[in-house]
Amino acid sequence: MTTAAPPRLADPPAPARERACRPRRTPLRWARRGGLAPVLFLLPALFVFGLFAWLPIGKSALMSFQRTNLVTAPEFVGLDNYRTVLTDPMFWTAVGNTGLFALLALLIGYPVPLALAVLMSEVRKGRGLFSALAYLPVVIPPVVAVLLWKVFYDAGPDGLFNKILGLVGIGPVPWLQSASTAMGSLVIEATWAAAGSTVIIYLAALTSVPPELYEAAELDGAGIRGKVWHVTLPHLRGVLLTTFILQIIGTTQVFLEPFLFTGGGPAHATTTILLLIYNYAFADSLGGDYGAATALSVLLAGTLAVFSAVFLRLTRSWSSS
Amino acid sequence: MSDRGLIAPTEWRRPGVRRLTRGLQGALLAALFAAGLGPLLWLAKAAVTPTQDTLRDPLALWPHGIDFANLVTAWTRVEVGKYFLNTVWVALGAWLVQLLVATTTGYALAVLKPRYHKVVTAIVMATLFVPSVVLLVPLYLSMVDTPLLHTSLINTFWAVWLPAGANAFNVILVQRFFANLPREVFEAARVDGAGPVRIFVSVVLPMSKPILGVVSVFAVIASWKDFLWPMLVLPDPAVQPLSVRLPALQTFVELDVFLAALAIATVIPVALFLVFQRLVLRGDALSGAVKG
Amino acid sequence: MSSKTFATVLAAALGLTVLAACGTDSGDTAVDGKTVVKVSLEPGQDKSAVDAFTARVTQFEQANPGIDLAVQEFKWDPTKFTAQLAGGTLPDVLTVPFTDGRGLIERHQIADISADVAQLPYAGKFNPEVAKTGQDAQGKQEAIPIAAYTQALHYNRTLFKQAGLDPDKPPSTWDEVRAAAKQIAERTGAAGYAQMTKDNTGGWILVTQDYAFGGRTEKLDGDKATATVDTPQLRQVLQNLRAMRWDDNSMGANFLYDWNGINQDFAAGRIGMYVSGGGNYKDLLAQNAIKPADYGVTAVPLTGPDAGALGGGTLAVVNVKASKKTQAAAVKWIDFYYLRKLTDQAAAQADAKTNADAKQAVGSPELPVFDKATYDERLRWIGQYVNVPLSQMTPYTSRMFGRPLLPEPTRATQKVYGVLDTVVQKVLTDRDADVNALLADAQAQVQALLDRP
Repeated sequence: MTTAAPPRLADPPAPARERACRPRRTPLRWARRGGLAPVLFLLPALFVFGLFAWLPIGKSALMSFQRTNLVTAPEFVGLDNYRTVLTDPMFWTAVGNTGLFALLALLIGYPVPLALAVLMSEVRKGRGLFSALAYLPVVIPPVVAVLLWKVFYDAGPDGLFNKILGLVGIGPVPWLQSASTAMGSLVIEATWAAAGSTVIIYLAALTSVPPELYEAAELDGAGIRGKVWHVTLPHLRGVLLTTFILQIIGTTQVFLEPFLFTGGGPAHATTTILLLIYNYAFADSLGGDYGAATALSVLLAGTLAVFSAVFLRLTRSWSSS
Repeated sequence: MSDRGLIAPTEWRRPGVRRLTRGLQGALLAALFAAGLGPLLWLAKAAVTPTQDTLRDPLALWPHGIDFANLVTAWTRVEVGKYFLNTVWVALGAWLVQLLVATTTGYALAVLKPRYHKVVTAIVMATLFVPSVVLLVPLYLSMVDTPLLHTSLINTFWAVWLPAGANAFNVILVQRFFANLPREVFEAARVDGAGPVRIFVSVVLPMSKPILGVVSVFAVIASWKDFLWPMLVLPDPAVQPLSVRLPALQTFVELDVFLAALAIATVIPVALFLVFQRLVLRGDALSGAVKG
Repeated sequence: MSSKTFATVLAAALGLTVLAACGTDSGDTAVDGKTVVKVSLEPGQDKSAVDAFTARVTQFEQANPGIDLAVQEFKWDPTKFTAQLAGGTLPDVLTVPFTDGRGLIERHQIADISADVAQLPYAGKFNPEVAKTGQDAQGKQEAIPIAAYTQALHYNRTLFKQAGLDPDKPPSTWDEVRAAAKQIAERTGAAGYAQMTKDNTGGWILVTQDYAFGGRTEKLDGDKATATVDTPQLRQVLQNLRAMRWDDNSMGANFLYDWNGINQDFAAGRIGMYVSGGGNYKDLLAQNAIKPADYGVTAVPLTGPDAGALGGGTLAVVNVKASKKTQAAAVKWIDFYYLRKLTDQAAAQADAKTNADAKQAVGSPELPVFDKATYDERLRWIGQYVNVPLSQMTPYTSRMFGRPLLPEPTRATQKVYGVLDTVVQKVLTDRDADVNALLADAQAQVQALLDRP
């Protein structure tokens, strides 16, 4: 027998010997019994989660009530930072833009992969080719994708997309160069870049639908559409709920596209919340307003946490049935 | 996988259904070619096309000949190779750190199960519900003056590697997998005199290759997709990965050379994908299953 | 270098070496007892430009055996400055635009090198208007002006010819600019006239145009600053842009240009004319490989009373965290690299030769940092090395002296520019934009910025 304790010793029902030992526990005995091993194995986690997750989280909450210039000691300013953020005319612009992005992404980005996956699941030969093609955009590094699409979105009549649309007599579309089309352009690229991944997730879920369910539905006289409604979608709802909430959380933190495509323009039409946070902290003249940046991130995080919690509670029974 | 799906064999025999399905699938294939492969093919073409041709007529195929010099210039003058190497370093370190943290934590929580494992699990899992945006500013300031270490990690790869380890999702994946490993094997090893470290290294890890593969794929993909964080903590071009360097290059470099640089930056991940296609697709599918 | 520093903000690559990241004061003295000075090099330079810089570094080290220079890529970015200062990642010598110099001096965020500066042989010969930008309230020279510029109208001679315009007779009024832009757009398909709009450059150019029409954006009275954004002059500027964009459609299709982006498209022959710093040719050549034959530059047209050309420049400053010894060595480098080439025949010629050998631009127009006599003398010294198409620059150089030089707005400059970015973006991207409402709104926002303590 070694010093290592069996892992289940600590769990009830514990052997009588263990129970008898408990009152006389000493650090040495604890260590010899193997108490030290889990501590050692947890050290990396404590280091990274402590230093790079919980410490910054705490610091964020703290900093949102402080003014700091990084040189002199931070000074508590109460709710000033929150007041600054909430009275900034850019706040509601950013909230609106982020909401618009999330909504458009939902309208375009949510049904498209589902439809693709359902169609692809019925492919008999060469499904690998379909999957690979759908997944290719996911493989392209996102920054490369955005920079490439920036070229595609050239708003002149000689821009790639405008040239193609010109062949069928449409355009030229201003794409990123107009407040009315910029956000849509961002969403189209973002959907293109992300859809492949969602398709693969749906596809895996679809192929796990037991054929007996379809057969049973057929016996009940269901057609193809009926089977989609009554068998496929209900079977997918756990996955659908997950992708839904992940997409909301993801799209409310969109940064790359507005940052690289438009810098938040034209005339703030694509300034999102995260871009505003970035601007507070890193892009305002001389010395970032870290207080306002953290205050806004705390507001966003709080909203998302409440949203996720409510959403999960509301749908728990529905998704696990 | 079954030999039938949504559409029943009887329905499949109906010409209407078959024609419609085939038609839709044909259209789908064409659309996927256009959307999935089209941009890549255009990029490949543009990489060896002079700037003026790309600007004047982006759809034409080399009206004034092919210009391979773009690729050479991108590699030598723009030093795409150097930034690619940085990308590899960043990904490699992030991968190692994530694997280390996920496996040790998973092992401690699922196999060793100390009395306080629920508390630790809660501490780790709770970070899942905190969007990363909250970390942005304080974490950046932590990098400028790192607690405990008391040095600036700015412009060192550690600034990217270490925070990457704080990934609760990896821990869940690994912990769940470890929890489902057969207990008897551990007991047998223990009877043979193996300590917790031995069991971890020679029993648990070898049995966990599938999940380690998945975590690895996630780690590498996440690392090469990351932009905002490395941009903040790696301001020195000498250590920047491609994703951070490319937007800056866009303004220094002529369009044709820039597109050649984009093409080079794309070739390697695409090649890797084609080689490891199955693993990548399975990993992504699994992530959906696990998250769901 | 001058105008480049104004293209601040965002994506800029601020080069900081790993060495610099290792600590704040540790890099002071090398093992062999030499004083180490971290000097900055503009990132993104062509290899030959880097070579030219490296050659100067070697020459300096040979002349000053006690000093060891460490080259660090650095571009001024006001947004990251405070964090860089706190994190100890700044070089010892850095260059900042005039606009930001005042704030740095007031906040004591740069070293007071006035004692070392006073020792320089030419300390009394600075152009007083220029010198002021680097002085504190008591007139101590804490930052050293190294370059100055006024805004100019850059144009593409090849596109002018293709459009049937005379490249030797560039537009001299805004009406002529509009007509030329229209002609270029119609006959060549390129943007006749383009304008920066992003990352505060939109405000910078808009203020330039406001000055050119005789306007000002702020009125200072002691401590009180009044915003004067909603004025007939600025309205006229915007109406003019509106007409070019929407009536003539002569401004191309990109309305989200920053400094780098517009240079890039201009060098690629996609833009007929644009407004930027007068010394821009150097950057167009080093970063964007412009064809010299394409390049032309003229003065920004001025109309109306009180019209003037917006000017600015670059200050060399020393890191406040550097030791006294390093500070003194840093001033030596500033003298050697940035100033002696303006004041000393041998240095001027050596610098010009090094740059010419590295195929960098020699002789781009700039405003004198010192008195005009020093400036003219220098031009004679380096005459044999000048490699820029001087004749193509005469429309500008023949007119750049003796025009009223107006400094940038002094209060919350970058933030005011940010507000104006939005105005110009709106006018250029929204056909129905209401100029009056935009100006009224901007007026209120700018006033709020000026009122902030």
